[in-house]
Parts: sequence; structure tokens; C-alpha cells
Amino acid sequence: MTVLELESLSVRFGGHLAVSDASLRVEGGRVTGLIGPNGAGKTTTFNAICGVVPPSSGRVLLDGKDISSAGTHQRARLGIGRTFQRLEVFGSLSVADNIRVGQEIRRSWSRRKAALPQYLDGLGDPSPDVELAAILTRLDLVALADQPVGALPTGQARLVELGRALAARPSVLLLDEPASGLDEQETDAFGDLLLQLASHGLGILLVEHDVPLVMRVCERLSVLDFGQIIAEGTPAEVRANEAVLSAYLGTGPTPAPGAPGAAPVEAQ
Amino acid sequence: MRTFLTATIGGLSTAAIYAITASGLVVTYTTSGVFNFAHGAFSMMAAFMYWQVHVAWGVPTLPAIVLVVFVVAPLFGALIERVIMRGIEGTSEVVKIVVTVSLFVALLGLANVIWPPTQSYTVLPFFNNAALSIFGVKVGWARLIALAVALAVAGGLRFVFTSTRLGIAMRAVVDDRSLLQLNGGRPGRTSMLSWAIGAGLAAIAGVLLAGEQTLSATTLSLLVINAYAVAVVGRLRSLPGVFVGSVILGLLVAYGQQYVSSEAAIGPVSLSGAVTAIPAVMLFVVMVLQPQDRLEARGATRVPTAARMPSMKLALWGGLAFVLVTAALGNLIAGPDLFKVAGGYLFALVMLSLVPLTGYAGQISLAQMTFTGIGAVAMAAWGASGSPLAVVASVLLCAVVGAVVALPALRLSGIYLALATAAFGLFCSAMVFNQQDVMPGLSRQVPRLALGPFKISSDYQQLVLLAVTFALVGIGLVALRRSAWGRRLAAMKDSPVACATLGLNLTATKVAVFALSAAIAGLAGSLAGRTFISDEFGLPASLPVTMLAVVGGIGSVAGAFMGGIFLGAFPIASTVFAANAIGVFRFVSLPVTDLVAFAPGATGVSLGREPDGAAPQMAAGFRAVGESVPSLVVSFAGFAALWLLARLDVVGGWAFVAAVLVFVLAVVPLLPLLFNPEDMGRKLATGIFVGLCTVVTVFIPWDTAIASNGMRALVIVLWAVLVVRTAIGVHGAVPDVVPRGPRTSPDMVGIDTPLTRADAVDAGRVLGIDEDELDLVTGRSQ
Ligand SMILES: Nc1ncnc2c1ncn2[C@@H]1O[C@H](COP(=O)(O)OP(=O)(O)OP(=O)(O)O)[C@@H](O)[C@H]1O
Ligand SMILES: [Mg+2]
Repeated sequence: MTVLELESLSVRFGGHLAVSDASLRVEGGRVTGLIGPNGAGKTTTFNAICGVVPPSSGRVLLDGKDISSAGTHQRARLGIGRTFQRLEVFGSLSVADNIRVGQEIRRSWSRRKAALPQYLDGLGDPSPDVELAAILTRLDLVALADQPVGALPTGQARLVELGRALAARPSVLLLDEPASGLDEQETDAFGDLLLQLASHGLGILLVEHDVPLVMRVCERLSVLDFGQIIAEGTPAEVRANEAVLSAYLGTGPTPAPGAPGAAPVEAQ
Repeated sequence: MRTFLTATIGGLSTAAIYAITASGLVVTYTTSGVFNFAHGAFSMMAAFMYWQVHVAWGVPTLPAIVLVVFVVAPLFGALIERVIMRGIEGTSEVVKIVVTVSLFVALLGLANVIWPPTQSYTVLPFFNNAALSIFGVKVGWARLIALAVALAVAGGLRFVFTSTRLGIAMRAVVDDRSLLQLNGGRPGRTSMLSWAIGAGLAAIAGVLLAGEQTLSATTLSLLVINAYAVAVVGRLRSLPGVFVGSVILGLLVAYGQQYVSSEAAIGPVSLSGAVTAIPAVMLFVVMVLQPQDRLEARGATRVPTAARMPSMKLALWGGLAFVLVTAALGNLIAGPDLFKVAGGYLFALVMLSLVPLTGYAGQISLAQMTFTGIGAVAMAAWGASGSPLAVVASVLLCAVVGAVVALPALRLSGIYLALATAAFGLFCSAMVFNQQDVMPGLSRQVPRLALGPFKISSDYQQLVLLAVTFALVGIGLVALRRSAWGRRLAAMKDSPVACATLGLNLTATKVAVFALSAAIAGLAGSLAGRTFISDEFGLPASLPVTMLAVVGGIGSVAGAFMGGIFLGAFPIASTVFAANAIGVFRFVSLPVTDLVAFAPGATGVSLGREPDGAAPQMAAGFRAVGESVPSLVVSFAGFAALWLLARLDVVGGWAFVAAVLVFVLAVVPLLPLLFNPEDMGRKLATGIFVGLCTVVTVFIPWDTAIASNGMRALVIVLWAVLVVRTAIGVHGAVPDVVPRGPRTSPDMVGIDTPLTRADAVDAGRVLGIDEDELDLVTGRSQ
């Protein structure tokens, strides 16, 4: 079932077309990947979906309804959640308080609404503390609960952003490079978490440069280059796609078997 | 028809001056990211400087202009950028605003020192006001020159920004400083240059204005606030917008002056200030017409420590202690001084209104005294008998007015709220507080509170009432900060965009907190119980309030109190010093009165070096006191002992005041450190030092050594501060000041620290480059 759909979305910054005529579907209950080289327009697409930048044309549909004219907070209330590539944690609050703010804001608007999706045991419990504990436990943040988020390493801070977004219980979750800053083991655990969330019905749109993770969790992939969707399909299909290879590597040889399509990581 | 033409031409030449100043404002803002509230003060300084060079020193017109506009002003601008503005890069918008507001206050004070207002300063208009006849209308050469200069400025700026390398770099720098840096640009230099150009443009306006009226520092500085309204038309960034806005405002003001007589009235409402209010009204109209601002997701600044919150227990005990200390202290202060101390308490209460707004939510207001004024006038109108119901009504009125004023600005970014509140302050001065019905004879007495049969009847009771109110509101604010709503405000301050993506309506939340803030400021006014004059509610009165609240340490109730007492102490000192110009205290022939005029601004400007304000250092100490039982015991025992000594007349009233100040400011915050068993030697030294200081303080014969009360008060405060500073020096710095992290470059996303070789090796692994090859690769890429 399609939860989120982009219909020929374009975003223009002055003379620069950052996203150009991009169409995309996110299904509930699975992880959809959005990959592409640096500057391809992935983050801009996220911003357009949640109303942080206005699109110059095109529509955003949530559950089939056009939400293009809704403000950011209204879209959040309709069920769009996200994390940020450049961290937007509440740095002066503790880990637990970051997630609490997510819960409390949700409680301030969700009273009247019907049941929200429940993808973790304990999420949706009438007691906020039980809910908080469930999120902290699942994200393995219990030991850090009272730490100020500002002092955490990036990887952990990204998990806090995820927990905060989950506390608002969205029906579709946009994750912008959530695994950068996690080590290999943590990335594996993180992949399991994404699959678990999806298996309970959450639709996830994942932007990630960690190719093995993307290959493992995504059922479908869209590839963005210079603002355009140049390929779409299962990971295997995308991996074999000529256009994708040349987008990533210039016109080039077949990628090394371990890291097909890996985006260039710029060291400086 | 002829009058219309005259007004039009006059309006266009005024527009020219607005355009020149406003483009200076826009140039500095777009390039350095700092909106210079002191821009008007720059113009004012230039006007006076021109007077100095041209009139006082007799330098001919042209060389004088060249010196002021092309040499002194740009150097001054560059110096300000280098010394002050560069230090606040990367700090919050609030700090940036407060630093330039402080600069405004400091320059105003400085001008009054160098060119005392007791003298009159006039400059002849250019060409002795010779005039030219156009369409039968006589037009002064000065006006034509203004027009020509504006056109030249417009052409010049256009050229610089579109056709020179430097200009393009200046446009780039605001988009992303670190990006420009990576590409080999030098943001520091471009930024400095933009301040030089901005100051130069301000100076041109100042010189053009100099011929138009007798120079007055305040009038000149505020006149240029009109430029803010004009800059808003171009969203503070567009030069063409500035020119369009200038023409509109210039003409509106000119027609207003021509056709609205100063006796005009609509019903009972006098329009005498209508023309003055035009820029403020225009600012609001333009803001309302603008589309809602976009959110930005550029990464929130991360500080490595959590904001500290006082515990509820500490707040309750602190509030109680505060009231008791005030009651005891007030008992020992003689009549007329009580009134002045109450003034400081009132300021403290007003500053408390900024704690939720600025401290918790990261928004700013420059018009808190205006809300105090509305509260005061409403109380006077509705509560002649001192009824508490009237207080409630006045407070509600302020909340509603606050919400209405803030709404248009809050849809936009933080700087607009500062502008809107400043405009609101000017508007109320021009249209409300000068109405006969509102403030007859420009003054109004606020009735004192009556609770049933008990009516506040003495200055002492009034002081205690203010202390109780301060304590209750302070406790309330601590409770608020600890509540879910307070957490939400803190979250909003850290990252508005994240809050919005969680479903928070940012505008509604900000309006609510602004209304709360206006309500507290109004409460201060309605409980003031004294006579106000209308100037006390003007913008020049509000600016120091905001400034010192932030300097005192915004976000903490104690910081508000420090700021309030600080601000309250200045009028005391200056009236006394004005009365007896004491030679001893002349310092490089600068009378102390002048230092007093200059000091508040100067302290604010230094905020760049320690953006968290003064309170955190001491607060760290005080906070620890609450957690250390022996420290608490010693604190109370010490205070009780001093009080007893005073009651038994062993020490005089003034010695008591001094000892209490030294004890509270210097001894108490150091106690927890002293009771900490580590590093005994040093602690012993510090302990002996502060102990000795307290004893010495008690035995200084304050009553006879210094002749006047105000002088004594000031010397005591200085003494206490000296003791604190030295004690910290003896002990070594109290740690705990939050370091500011560098802004992350967009290229280092996800990596908050500078890249190390290990990172490069990791990255290389992903790319399939082994360590030996890496050097080759990096060598090639540089
Ligand atoms: N606010 C903005 N103003 C102007 N240009 C922008 C803005 N935000 C993004 N861009 C430009 O839009 C393009 C797409 O940027 P975006 O951040 O969406 O890329 P991305 O795919 O997320 O890249 P990365 O993998 O590096 O995160 C880039 O060329 C960027 O410079
Ligand atoms: Mg991105």
C-alpha cells in the first residue's frame, strides 16, 4: 500500500534546479531507499516532503491526499516523521528529554485522533514513562538516558533523533543518513531495527551512503542524480543499471564487488 | 499644488538619506550576518564628528567630509568588526542583537560624554542653504546633494556587488562562511570590509543630516531607525527593495508633515505624534504583507553540556530567602533611598519577563518597558483604589497586546521580532504615552495595591511587595521551565525545525510565550505603585533593560535580579555624582557620571567574549551551595550574624549593607569549593582571603568616609565586585563556562570534529584506497 507519493516534484533555488521532476513512491511496511551522489538532491527532496522548502512544482500525496499546501507541523500531524542529516537534536536536553519532547508534542495534538501505528511493544501505552522506556530500550539508549545529547557522539545522537521521531508515531519516516557515525556492529543492529519497524507497517524512506546497509534493508531503490530520478527498481536491478554506474563513477568500469555504487566519500 | 510639490521634493531628499543608511545596514547584514542596531548611532557619531572637525576645528567643508566619511568612519567600522563582531560569529541571534543594541547604548553614552548635551551644536547646511528654483519651487542645494549622493551610492553598490570579485565574495560569504573559506575566500576580510562600507554609508547619512537640525544624539540615533522600516521592504537583503521602500517612506513622512497639523485629532486622540509613528506603522504593514518565513535545517549548534535547571526546592528556598533578606535590608535603609532601591527591584521584575521569552525560548523583545507602561496606565485607569482585580485586568491587557504585536513578526525570523518590538516602542511613545488622556502632563501615578483592608502605604511595604512578586514570579518561572511546556520551549530554542517536524505549531508557541512575557512586564507596571513619566516607557529606556537582562545571564532568575539591580544602581549613582562633581574620581578628565552613562553599553558589548552572561560563573557557585549542607548553614549563620551586629548597632547601616553584599556575592558562591576537601592549601588561602575581606568591609567607616549615599552605594558595589574577582583569582578560575563549538562545514557532515588521519584512512577503505595510496590521492587533490 502506498503511503507517500511524490508526483513530478521540482525544487528550485534561484537558478539552480535541485530536484527536477522527481516521482517516487513509499510503501507502508517496507524500506524504500533513495540513493545518489553528493549534492544529488536527496536532502532537498526530504525538505520538500515535510514542507521545509516549498516545491516549485509537483505534488506530495500522503495516503492519496494532496498535502502540498500544508505547513510543516500539519504534515507532521498527518503522519510524516523525519531525522536530519545535519543533526537537529535538542542539544541542551538529555536523551530522555529529547524523546519526551517528541511524546509531549504528539500528545498535545493527537488526543482526538484514531489509533496511531504501533511498531514497538509499549509504543502507544497510556503511560508516557512506559512508552519512553520502550523506545530507550529498543534503541539501546537506556544507559545514556540522562546524558545531555550535545555531548554524545554523532552516531548516538542520530539514534536519539530516530527515537524522537518514533515518539511522534508517524506513518512514514524519512531517514537522512541515519547510519553515518555508527560502527559496523551498530549498523547491523540498526538494520535489524529498520526491518522490525517496517514489519509492523511503518513506511520508511532511507537516504544512506552505506551501501551494504541499503542493499540489505531496502526492497526498492530510487537513484537520484542532479535532481533527477535516473533509476528505480529492486537493489539487484539498480546495481546492474548502466546509468547508475556512470552517475557514481563517472563513465567507468564495473564497481568493486564489495561496494557497488558506493558514493565517493570526500575526505576534505 | 506648490505645497504638494515642495513636500514631494522634500520627501524625495529624505528618501535619499533613508536609502543611503538602509543600504549600509543591508550591506553589513548580508555579508556579516549581524543586523547592526547601532547603525543609527554610527550616523549620529559621524554627524558629531563632522561638527567637531568642521565647526570646532575649522577644517573646510570638503576635507572635513572626506576625513569623516572616507577615513574615520570606515576605520571605525572595520575596528568594530574586528574587535567585537568577529567574536560573536556563531553565537545565537539573541547575543548578536544584544551586542549591537549595547553598542547603540554605548555610543549614545559616549557621544553624550564627548559632546555634552548642555551645549548646542549646529552645522550650517551646504552652500549656506542657498536654493535653486525648480518648477517655481525653491529647493535647497543640500537636498539636491542628498539625491545625487543616493543615486551615486545605488550605482556604486550595484557595480561592486555584480562586477567585482570582492563584491561577489561578499554575497557568497553570508550563504556559507565555511564554504567560502574552503574555496579559498577570506570571510573575515570580506566581513570587515562590509562593516567599513556600512559605517561609511552611515556616515554619509549623518553628514547629510547634520545641516538639517541642531545635533541631538538621541534624536539622530533614533531618526535612523526609520532606515529599519525601509530595509524590511527588501527583506533586509535587497538593495532595490531598500530604494523602493525609501521613496515610499520619504513621501509618506513629507506629506504627513505637510498635511497633518500638530493640533490634528481624531475624536479624543491627538495626532501630534502621527508623523513620527509613520515608520513604525510602515514596518508592521510590510511585515504583515510578507509570506511566512521558511524554516531552515542547517544543523543545530550543539553544546556539550546540558542547560542547568534549578531544582524546585532551591527555587522555593531561594524565593523565601530573597524576601526575608529584602525585608531585613529594607528595614535598615532610610526613606528616600528605599524609593531608589525599589526602582532597581522594579527593573529586576521587568527583566524577569525576559527569562521565559529570551532565556527559555530564544526570542527577543526590545520594548519591555512599553508593556510595563501599558500595565501601569491600565492600572491607573482601572484600579484607582488599588484593587487586585485591576492588576489582573491590566496584566491580561498586556498579554493580548503582546500577542497581537508579536504575531506578524513571529511568522518571520528572530531579527524581525526585535525590529517589530522596537517599532512598537516608538509607536507607543509617539501615539499612546503622549496622549493627554493616557498620561496627563506626560506623567501618571500608579495607585498602590490594596488587598482588602490592607493597603500598601509606605515605600518599605512597596519594596517588600515587589520582592514578594519577584519571588513568586521567579518560582513560577522555574516551575514552568521544569514542566513539559518549558521543555518544549528549550527544544524550540535548540531546533525549531525539529519541533515543527514533530507537529509543533511554532508560531502559536512563540505567540504564547511572548504574551506571557508581556504579561509579566505589565505586572511590573501595574504593581509599581509610583509616578512614571512617559520617557520611562520609550525605546531608549527599554534597550538597557533587554541588554542588562542578557548580560546578567539570561535564562536565570538570578541573572534578572543582577541585571535589575545593576540598572537600578546607575540612576542612583548618576544623580548623586551630578550633584557633586567630585574631583578625586576624575579619570583622564572623564567624570564618573560619564562613565556611568557609558558603562552599561560597554558591559553589553563585551558579551561577545562570554555569551552566556555574567551570572553563570557565580550561578555555578550558588547552585552548589544548595547542594552542600555545611555551605547553607554557614551562609545563613553568616547572614544572621551580620544582621544581629547591625541590630545591636555594633556596625552601622552602611557597613551592614557592604558586608552583606560582599558576603553574598563573594563568600557564599565560594563556600562549596571551600568545603570540598581537595587541594587544601589553595582553598585555605581563598577562605582566609574572603574572610578577611568581609571583616575589613565591616570595619570600613562607610558613613564618614564617603559623603553621599549614592557614592557609597557605588563604591560598595565596586568593592564587592573587586573582592569576587580577586577571590576567583586567588582560587583560580571557576570552571564550567560552556565553550562554543565551531560551525560544522557542510562537507564534514556527520563528522563534528576536524578530520584526522584515521578518518581519512577509514574513508579510504570505503573507497578501496589503502593507506599508502592515500597520500598520493590527498597530495593530488590539493
Ligand atoms: N537552501 C539552499 N539554497 C541553495 N541551494 C541549495 C540549498 N539546499 C541545497 N542546495 C543545493 O541543492 C543541491 C542538492 O542538495 P542536497 O543537500 O539536497 O543534496 P544531497 O543529495 O542531500 O547531498 P548529500 O549526499 O551531500 O547530502 C546541491 O547542489 C545544494 O548545493
Ligand atoms: Mg543530504
